[in-house]
This record gives sequence, C-alpha cells and structure tokens, in this order.
Amino acid sequence: MTVTPVTAPPQGLNTSAPARRRRRGKIGRTIAIAVALFFALAPLYWMVSTSLKPGIEATRRDPTMLPNDVTAENYQKLFSENLPFGSFAVNSIVTALAAAVISVLLSALGGYALSRGTFRLREPISYLVLIAQMLPLVVLLGPLYLLLLNAELVNTLPGLVVGYISFAVPFGMWLMKGFFDAVPREVEEAARVDGYPRWQILFRVVLPLTVPGLFTTGTFVFIESWNNLIYPLTLINTIDKQTLPAGLILSFTGQFKTDWGGMMAASVVTTLPLLVAFFAIQRSMVRGLTAGAVAGE
Amino acid sequence: MARISLRDVEKRYTSELVLRDCDLDIDDHEFVVLVGPSGSGKTTLLRIIAGLEPLSGGEVYFDDTLVNDVDVGDRDVAMVFQNYGLYPHMSVYENMAFGLKRRGLPKDQIETQVNRTADLLGIEPMLKRRPKQLSGGQRQRVALGRAIVRDPAVFLLDEPLSNLDAHLRVQMRAEILKVHRTVSATAVYVTHDQIEALTMGDRIVVMRDGLIQQVGTPEDLYDNPANRFVAGFIGTPAMGFTRCTVQRTEQGTELTRNGVRIPLPQHRAAAIPPDVDVVDVGLRPERLMLQRQSDDLGTVSGVVQMVEQLGAEYYVYVDVDGDLLTARAPRDQRVHVDDKVRLSTDGAFVHTFDTESGVAYA
Repeated sequence: MTVTPVTAPPQGLNTSAPARRRRRGKIGRTIAIAVALFFALAPLYWMVSTSLKPGIEATRRDPTMLPNDVTAENYQKLFSENLPFGSFAVNSIVTALAAAVISVLLSALGGYALSRGTFRLREPISYLVLIAQMLPLVVLLGPLYLLLLNAELVNTLPGLVVGYISFAVPFGMWLMKGFFDAVPREVEEAARVDGYPRWQILFRVVLPLTVPGLFTTGTFVFIESWNNLIYPLTLINTIDKQTLPAGLILSFTGQFKTDWGGMMAASVVTTLPLLVAFFAIQRSMVRGLTAGAVAGE
Repeated sequence: MARISLRDVEKRYTSELVLRDCDLDIDDHEFVVLVGPSGSGKTTLLRIIAGLEPLSGGEVYFDDTLVNDVDVGDRDVAMVFQNYGLYPHMSVYENMAFGLKRRGLPKDQIETQVNRTADLLGIEPMLKRRPKQLSGGQRQRVALGRAIVRDPAVFLLDEPLSNLDAHLRVQMRAEILKVHRTVSATAVYVTHDQIEALTMGDRIVVMRDGLIQQVGTPEDLYDNPANRFVAGFIGTPAMGFTRCTVQRTEQGTELTRNGVRIPLPQHRAAAIPPDVDVVDVGLRPERLMLQRQSDDLGTVSGVVQMVEQLGAEYYVYVDVDGDLLTARAPRDQRVHVDDKVRLSTDGAFVHTFDTESGVAYA
C-alpha cells in the first residue's frame, strides 16, 4: 500500500503562486466556455429573433439585434398559407422515425456480430464498416441514386429511408458494438448453459442490457435524418414528398428573393422537436458515446 | 448424475496448444478439483466439459455418450462463473427461474423449486432484489442457487470464490460442499488455490502448461507427489528443495551434501535407479526439525532468512548453501533472522526427484 503524505496548506497564503494559477485557470476556462456558447447559441438567437421580425426588418442592411416590431406573422404564414408545411413535417417524422427504428435493429444485429462473432473476416469487416462511415455523404450519393433508380425507389419515402439508413448503420453498428463489448461474456454463457439459443440470448439477455445504447443509436439516427438536407434534395423531386429542411429551402428561397422571416419561423418549429428529444436523452447519449471506455459497470 | 470421461483432449488457439493429452475419469457424484497456476489450462478444460469451448482433438463422454458435438444447453450441466454471470436486469427469483422456464416447467413447479433452493442457501429474503443490490457473498449464493435449482447432472464451478474475502471464502467452501452433498451431482471445481483444492476435493487434478501432472486424493498428492512441480505446488508453506549426491555403501544408501549424510530406508533407496548419482531432494516443513546444536547424521546448517509467526508455531525459512528450506518450529523455540541453525530430518520422509525431468523416484 502506498501512503501519500498529506501536508496542511500554509495559512494566510491565499495569494500564493498555485492559488493564482488556479484562479487564472478558472478565468481561462470560463472565457473558453463563453466563446463556445456564443458560437453555439448566436445562430439560434438570430433564428428566433429573425422569425419574430416583419419582412422589411428581417432584410435591413443594418440588422437589429432585437426585433423593433415583434410580429407572429411569419408563424401564422407557416400554418395558414399555401405552404405544405404539415406535409413536410409528416414526411420528416415518418422517414426519420422509420430510419431510426430500422437502423437500430440493423445496427444491433450487426454490432452484435462484430462484438461476439467468431467468423474469420470479423476484423476486416469491422474496419470496412468504419471506412464506409468516413466517406462524405456526397460521395455516396451518386451510387445510391443509381441503386435507388434501378430499384424504382427514387422520389419515394422508402427510398429516402434507405438513403438515411445507408449512412446511419455503419456508425450505429460501431456504437452498438461498444455497448455489446461492455456486456460480460459470462452473462451470455450463463444463458447458454441455461439452454437458450443464440437469438433468444440476444433478445432476452443482451438487448435489455443495452437499452441505453439502442436509445442513443435511435436518437442519433433520428437527428441525423431529420436534419439531412442533401438526400431529400437529391432523391425526392416533388414538393409533396419533401421533408422539412429541403421543403423549407425550396419554399422560402426564390430566384430573386428569400423570405428570411418565414424560413426562420419554420426553422424554429423544425428545431423544437430535436431540442426536446436531445434534452430527454442527453444523459444516456453521453453514456452511450463513452460506452466501453470503462469496464465492469 | 453423470460420469465424465476425457480422452486425449486437446485444445489449440491458432498455433498455440493450450491443452494436450488430457485423460481423466470423473466418477458419478465425485467432487473433483482442477488446480494449477495461471495459464495451466484448468479453466479451458472446465469450459470444454461444459461445452462452451470446442475441442481441437480428443473425446468427451458423459456416461458412455460422446458429447463432443452436443450443445452446452443439452448437456445437463450447470455452471458457476468466476464473476457470477448473473443476469443484471432480472431479480434473484428471475435469475434462478430463467433456466427452468427454458425447460418448460409449469409456473408453480418453478416457484416451488426456486423457493426450496433459496431456502437451502438462505437467500429467500433477497428473491425480489436485483444482483447489484447484493453483496459479493450474496451474489455468490445466488449464482450457486441458479446452478443447483435445475438439479443438473454435472455441476461446474470456475474459481467461484476468488472474488470473496478470506473469511467469506472459508465459509462458502463449507457451503459449497454442503450443497454438493445435498444435490449429489458430479462436481468439477477450478481453482488456483491449492488449499481450496486440498480442503474440498475428493480427488485433485494438478495441471501445468496444458498438461495434467497428477490425479489423486489430497493425501496422495501431498505424500506421493508425482514430480517436483506437484511437490512444490501442493502444501503450504511449499516443500523445500536441495540437491544431494547418492552414496551407496554396504551399510545402505545415503544422500549426502557438504558432509551431511541422510540415510535412506530400503524402500526409498530402491526407488532411485542404480545409475543415478545426483537427485533433487524435497523436504516438507513439518519433517524438518530445528536444532541449535546437534551432531546427528542428517543435520544441515543454515542461516535464518525469515520467520513467519502463525500464533501457535513458526515457519522458519533457512538458507542452506543457497537453497531455501522451510521448517516448522514450536512457538517456544525462539529463532531470529540471521541466526545460525541446524536442521535435521528423517530419511523416511524425504522425496527424491530426477534432476532433469523432475519426476519423483519414490
């Protein structure tokens, strides 16, 4: 056993060098956090503020920080005019939810195979999956478009869901692999000794122990799909099948004029469900992203 | 209830052979302990018996049925894991009932069996708790309960006490033996602790580097170790070793070293082949007497390196020309570090080993 000698701090030396260093460190940290917060929150503030400004004020050359004339007209326009906002929202919810559910299922099965499989190509396959995840979405878009075209899935919501799944599953598999790695092997072996087949062990023992991982993966896929702009813009070509981000761009951006107020109001409404979802699961999300770092939980 | 037979069992991981030439017969109801240092292959052998690890060669029989290709779930074995392996998301009751459910038993029968087992192990008040709400000892009991509730033919235990403190370990040893008597299944128990092996096993299998070194009762292993490794591994403190020359005269055979002579009785002398002139000699601590002064034939002198106080007696570690021998001394025989002492022994109790292979002569 090691015994560390403990020395009492000298009294009356609050302004000693270590104390000063600590205080400086604290100030530095506070400034760094403030700068990071500014970059994170300023666009959000600008979005909310602009959404409350009338059209003229929103496009002034000398922008106002606070709306001079607070108005709800942008929000009213969103729900009352000819804009198919409702259908955008439904398309977004349906595709993001479907992508999340299917991706969670596929990621769980794939991640389990990567974590516990004994097949010869397990390691190369693991790295291939990782490499697939590193490719930019734009690179995948061309081949994906052709595949969906051949499968007659271009301009359909299922086609869009397939697109979302293609980028979500590689990351989801690795995320779930981390969770499965953290499940002690003895627990699974105990179930084998108890007489359960592999698939029942997965569903009755392993998956219940990785529920935070399933939620984390699901939320991640939902957020990524919800926010995705490039896939719906490429894979969908009729406005009634568009999702929120692409629909809003197409609706509020004209050749000569952009309705910033309307677009910001729509953005606020689009962002709200994400914020709620994120705050609801942020604790398990952080745990999910660090799973496997510490053994024996 | 089952008899287990292993024939030429072999296990290979990629190119490394971790088990070889393992032949073993375990009788019905027997409690057999596999013991050996880390990496000796004892856990691998247990997992092969369980069916959790496929073999690379050889055969495993339960009674007279070859079970090489029988899945673990169909072997009627139960296992207690080193880290318990309890299902964290289930209550103690559910943990114990999980295996019974798989066998399709009716609900009331499951309840009866779980309650009876919980009663046997004193875990009835904890049936509704989750494993994380239990202490190490309680978890161990639940793991035992989960294993015996199914009334298996073979009961396998993989270092089940290694996570418990010394006091609890002694208590649980007795409890496992009690449980074994109650269920009377064939039990195979893995440990690296030779005291656990000596106190629990009907028979002990000593393993090293993937090979079975010796199989026998605790007394057998202690009194007639098959080789130097078993001799040094079984017994606390360990047997001390020193190298001696074999002198054969008309009066008889003697082991000599630096002028010290230990006469060997006829049966010990006869065991040493006539062409062998040098042997390794093993001496158990209780067979070495500490003496301040003596002119006995079988007396060697050395310097005390360490004294271990055990309450009623001492263990005295003596350096004899570079070899460390251990002697047991009564409490009233005051000995201190750096004292010069003499050790005497009776030739009837020395063990002799081949200097190269380590195989015992007697």
